[in-house]
Amino acid sequence: MVSSDDVQRLFLQAILSRGILSGKLAQTLWEKCVQAVKAAEPDISVPYSQTKDAWDAFVVKVNKSIDNLDLEFRHLHDETTGREMYALVNRKGDEIAQMATDYTPAEIAYFKAIIELIMLAPRESFSVSSFAALREVSAIKPKTNMSKTQAENVLGSFVAKGWLLRSKRGRYSLATRALLELGPYLKSTYPDEIVECTICMEIMTHGVACHTNNCKVRMHFHCFTTYRRRHKACPTCRADWPESANEKPLVPVGEAAVKDGEDAKHSGREKSAEDSDEEDEAPMDESQGTQPRTQRSQRTRKTKVNVDESMDMDDDDEEEPVKKEKKSSQPSRRSSRK
Amino acid sequence: MARASTRSQKAPAASQSQPRASQSQRAHRGRNEESDDDGEGGAGDYEADGDAGEMAVDEGETEIKRKANDLVRLALFTEHKRTPLRREEISKKVLGPSTRAFNRVFDRAQDILQKTFGMELAELPTRAGLDADTNTVEDELNEARKATGMKKKAAATGSKTYILRSVLHPAIIEYAALTDEQILEEEAADVPSDDDNDDDDYTPQYYGSIISWSSADQLSSIGVLYTILALILVNGRVISDSELRAHLKRLGLPPNGLLPLSQSSTHKTITLEAYLATLIRQGYIDRQQVGDNKAGGKGAKRGRVPTHADDDSGATYEWRWGTRAGSEIGEKAVAKFVAEFMVGDAAGDEDDEEEGGSRRGRERREGAEEKLVRMMKGIERAAGGQLAEIK
Repeated sequence: MVSSDDVQRLFLQAILSRGILSGKLAQTLWEKCVQAVKAAEPDISVPYSQTKDAWDAFVVKVNKSIDNLDLEFRHLHDETTGREMYALVNRKGDEIAQMATDYTPAEIAYFKAIIELIMLAPRESFSVSSFAALREVSAIKPKTNMSKTQAENVLGSFVAKGWLLRSKRGRYSLATRALLELGPYLKSTYPDEIVECTICMEIMTHGVACHTNNCKVRMHFHCFTTYRRRHKACPTCRADWPESANEKPLVPVGEAAVKDGEDAKHSGREKSAEDSDEEDEAPMDESQGTQPRTQRSQRTRKTKVNVDESMDMDDDDEEEPVKKEKKSSQPSRRSSRK
Repeated sequence: MARASTRSQKAPAASQSQPRASQSQRAHRGRNEESDDDGEGGAGDYEADGDAGEMAVDEGETEIKRKANDLVRLALFTEHKRTPLRREEISKKVLGPSTRAFNRVFDRAQDILQKTFGMELAELPTRAGLDADTNTVEDELNEARKATGMKKKAAATGSKTYILRSVLHPAIIEYAALTDEQILEEEAADVPSDDDNDDDDYTPQYYGSIISWSSADQLSSIGVLYTILALILVNGRVISDSELRAHLKRLGLPPNGLLPLSQSSTHKTITLEAYLATLIRQGYIDRQQVGDNKAGGKGAKRGRVPTHADDDSGATYEWRWGTRAGSEIGEKAVAKFVAEFMVGDAAGDEDDEEEGGSRRGRERREGAEEKLVRMMKGIERAAGGQLAEIK
């Protein structure tokens, strides 16, 4: 027996078959689900309209039906495109949920390690070079025999499934699905590193920061664009802002934050951007990569200890000037946050 | 497209409901719904517990509800990997110490699955039950195949193993597999315009269908699975290991061959051996040592054997459909896939030969239909007995 409720059922099946999808595709799917049900039973009456209100009401209805299952059809704006993205999100990280993944424990450990690199990246760059990401394989615990080539495939899978983004420069950052599903995890694990958009209050890993020292205003690009239309200055410190989020003196958050530092450092080098990127990331990775792991176990929000530790680590490899710069940049980033 | 039409039966995390099997279940469920609805309602309802006087009853009821929800989650997540859900797992992960509540929790979970997702947990038949079924229709064939020493077995009992499949109306499921221009457009727009991935020659595939089977599954290897199922079926429902491998080799898949996996997988390729092992684990196909334990009660051991080709010990193996294949895809669907493939090809050849008038075209279409029917009959004969619907 076909019923009008089948629209919602088919819609959920359609969503289950996809990882993350745009609001536009989701709405198209809803419309098509209505058509599918009507095709099966022409006389059936199915409420449908193309208005935003109708869509929102449908989403509410869908969510009501899966609320008891700790699932949620949640949406978030893509940080880079500003597009509204939807995904079926699991709210409970119980034993049952751990089965929801095709990934092996080692691959999950690897994913966590990558997230750590991204979250602890200096200067709010929230990204990690592919070189550093691949290096991290050897640090996975428990030990795995994952090869670098295999790690590349795994990273490719994370990207294909919408967990990570891979940029033109080969840097990895968090994709919308990760932000959607891992929001609570990120907030509880990296309370000191997390940055929130002043406008939409969501986690932010790509965007722009006010250039005033100690001013905490951060905005997604799309939030900035909306805000800048009506305001010319920072909402907190009142500093004048340029028209575009990419213009100086505004400070980029995300991958662009790395480029600036690099350009200054490697101006004289004749290496490709990618090469130099890897070069200077590698030593930094040592301090970044090992420090958080040792501290993770006894991590009790003691940022002070972390800073000490990271400085100790940095002292170990003092020869290269590149590292010194990194070293100095790190504590300053932390202090500026307080 | 032959494959598409067979495949279309399959929902993302579930599979096709088959009229005969699901009808009875639906009727059964209908009863449940009624009693449920005036009781405490189904998935989307908010319960108003605690307002009744009998606290103890309410607590038990809340507990059942919570566990039913857990079971639904477990079923959804397990199906994600295409591995069958075993009752022990349900007991361990959902029920805890109160395994006696299984039926109540299970029924409630079925209700939620049906109302919320249009899905059901279907119990796979036991291997022994399957063999018995097959044998009754296969009696004559068995005469000729005495060597395998099959015996009739007692009636099927539950395997206590479940898969998730769709119970939406077949017409809806079919519609959900069609390509739709608008969906196709939005899917194309959704693909991250990763101008940057220059080193990736990979383009994600999408087909504009409501249910995106291209993202939910590894399509290319599923093509191989359907081919294997077809080979087993037309070979009389059982095929020797060497024969199967010879066929696959002729089709361009040598024993050391690699199957491509999509980008969302953590491996670029999978070896034929590893893939066969996965299929056994998922219950699509089953491998046994010849003359090993045909009628014996050691069914549990099946499928656990390593999949290496006939090994040094001199043992020979043969392949059959796994229980999941029968419950998810069904012999009819695979036969249709084969028939459409064979006939479709032939019709294509004729097209090339000449451009017939409309009368001619109609004749040819009718001819094709007739051929299809004949082909199905031939497949049925080759299989050695009536083709089974979905179990």
